[in-house]
Amino acid sequence: MIEEPGTIQNNENAACGSAGSGVDRRSFLKATGAGLAATGLAGCLGDDDGGGLTLGAVYIFSGFASLYGDEAERGYELAVEEINEDGGIDGEDVEVIARDTEGDADTAIRQMTSLIEEEGVDGLFGLDSSGVAQAMAPQVAEQQVPLMVTHAATPFLTSPEGEHDNSVGNEWVFRNCNSLSIDMYGAAQVAAELDAEEWATIGPDYAFGYETWDYFQAYLEGLGADVEFTDEQYPGLETSDYTPYISAIIDAEPDGVITPLWGADLTTFLGQADEAGWFDAIEYTLFSVGMGTDLPADGSPLPEGQHASTRYDPFVPETEENETFRETYYEEYDTLPTYNAEGAYRALYLYREAVEEAGSTDHDEVREAFTGMEHSGPVGEYHFDEETNQAVVPAIWGTVSQDEEWESNVLDPVEVYDVDADELDELLADSELPSGV
Amino acid sequence: MEPSTTLAFVGLADVVIGLSLGSRLFLIAVGLSLIFGVLGVLNFAHGAFYMIGAYVALTVTNQLIDNFWIAVVAGALAVGLIGVLIEVGTIRPLYERAEGELDQLIVTFGFVLVIHEAVRFVWGSQPYSMDAPASLAFSVSIAGSTFSAYRLFVIGAAFVVMAGLWLFVTKTYFGSLVRGTSSDREMASMLGVDVPRLYTAVFFLGSFLAGLGGALSAPLQSTSPALGDQVIIDAFIIVVIGGLGSMFGAFVGAMLVGLMQAIGPQFIAAGHIAIPFVAMVIVLLLRPEGLFGGIGE
Repeated sequence: MIEEPGTIQNNENAACGSAGSGVDRRSFLKATGAGLAATGLAGCLGDDDGGGLTLGAVYIFSGFASLYGDEAERGYELAVEEINEDGGIDGEDVEVIARDTEGDADTAIRQMTSLIEEEGVDGLFGLDSSGVAQAMAPQVAEQQVPLMVTHAATPFLTSPEGEHDNSVGNEWVFRNCNSLSIDMYGAAQVAAELDAEEWATIGPDYAFGYETWDYFQAYLEGLGADVEFTDEQYPGLETSDYTPYISAIIDAEPDGVITPLWGADLTTFLGQADEAGWFDAIEYTLFSVGMGTDLPADGSPLPEGQHASTRYDPFVPETEENETFRETYYEEYDTLPTYNAEGAYRALYLYREAVEEAGSTDHDEVREAFTGMEHSGPVGEYHFDEETNQAVVPAIWGTVSQDEEWESNVLDPVEVYDVDADELDELLADSELPSGV
Repeated sequence: MEPSTTLAFVGLADVVIGLSLGSRLFLIAVGLSLIFGVLGVLNFAHGAFYMIGAYVALTVTNQLIDNFWIAVVAGALAVGLIGVLIEVGTIRPLYERAEGELDQLIVTFGFVLVIHEAVRFVWGSQPYSMDAPASLAFSVSIAGSTFSAYRLFVIGAAFVVMAGLWLFVTKTYFGSLVRGTSSDREMASMLGVDVPRLYTAVFFLGSFLAGLGGALSAPLQSTSPALGDQVIIDAFIIVVIGGLGSMFGAFVGAMLVGLMQAIGPQFIAAGHIAIPFVAMVIVLLLRPEGLFGGIGE
């Protein structure tokens, strides 16, 4: 599906009808309004000679997780606007061509190939699903195009190929947000502090669900916590009725449950869990993707008092950079930025820095500039690990609270768990799991 | 919700959840079975019909008239009418073909794709939810477990539909025509039965039931374009277990599958989705005609 334009460029793509099974109403109206006049054949021919920087954004824009694509779009559009108003990159505009992965690996690879071969993009960013990201990683290495992952969390994406059977990390794949591994380190720290002895999980029936539980257990064991692991439930993606799984967990009577359910699946689960009396029966529920998308907005079904994590918090760190981003974003969209918005926003600035440092949009030179790069963004100061290309950023966990000033759910109190690769490796020493950092 | 102890490992809550899942599945499976039993058409689009019922109902309540009962009737009727259009327009011309069954299968599968894309176009890909009617928005406590009144209502509705269908087919003149036609179409035609019209009426009834199932299920689950694919697989398992063409078989099969889905997660964390498939294979091996096999019952 042809999706949101960062600039007019998308319309050329729409005119070609190069890859699409459908166009949603919003995309159509926006693309039409954005610049019918610019529709031409250049995009069809893969014209890449307009100067500046052309990036391909690959997110989920349809289906149960489309809200992630929407959030990312807000983030990168804001960055495009800011960068171009600020003179662009070496005086040339940056533009984004967005494509819908539909959360499907085959579709994502098809879109990626189209972006590279037909649109001639200088680099890629995005990806929401861990499964899709794992399928894409070897492909970008083959195509030799840099990819900045801003959301997909599997540690195997940045665990160098050969480190583990599932590892697909390579020199072309970078990740600017924290991973499932770092997030579960934070979750284990939270769990170890709670008076909960028995833990269970309910997660989606694919790698992300299983990996979350594996890493959660491994880190808790690494921390020496005296806990037991009881029930685990793995409903399929887009399950419409979670009641049997909810009932199974409640029957197992754990003290705490960690859930990496995400997107609309999380919303569906929350409504049915509430109806089944989940929050009376289970003392602690840790939502690892809980503050991920539209959930912080007013009317969020995420219950106050529960524990949730985020890969970026609009109030952490308390820096001028973060405050400026938060307020600019709020002014533009009337809502606080979520981590997917911030990740996509920051990807554009990372590319600007890499291109300016390399003095070129050459794929290889941009990749080299990313390697070990130190950067500062709303999320704070961090660097990319030279071996894994994973950004070394902290885990953030907190308690869901309603904030009157921002009319939104926020994490308050919120805890930042700084961690380095060595510490993670040490905690995972007894497991076969790579830290991915 | 307090865990209860009706069985050694299975609580009353699990049984009730299983029956409610089974009840919803019955409403789709019985229509599928009825259409196959009388017309010999294996309607692949039946799951998509169920999905349309849910979408129409939630659109009526959320955007048009905030009346649950009208929404349910609208959902069922809309799907019934769509079924009639499809039967008259595309399936009827295929009855007499030598390879008619295969053609019907391809046509109905085509409608799955068409309906899926149409739903995405009209409603988008986002899941929607719908509230239960205010009159049933309360909880009932039974043996220490708490159940939503609406969930119990849906179970009751399935029993009522089962009883109504049984009376309709066995005790009415129209029912005797249906049974007679399903046994010997040519004889029925020679005796003056307007077979094409009867077929259309049965297709309407089967589609109506799918729409009713979708509409009644809307408050219990999220409605998205994936819904049709999910339920059609369950419906096929049910009619194979119960016996193709058997209404009672559809009822028993649906309740069994519902209970398997509810209780499976208690025993197997991952892979419990396969339990109904395993049950289907066992039934096929031991009793290929299904537990209550018998066309035109």
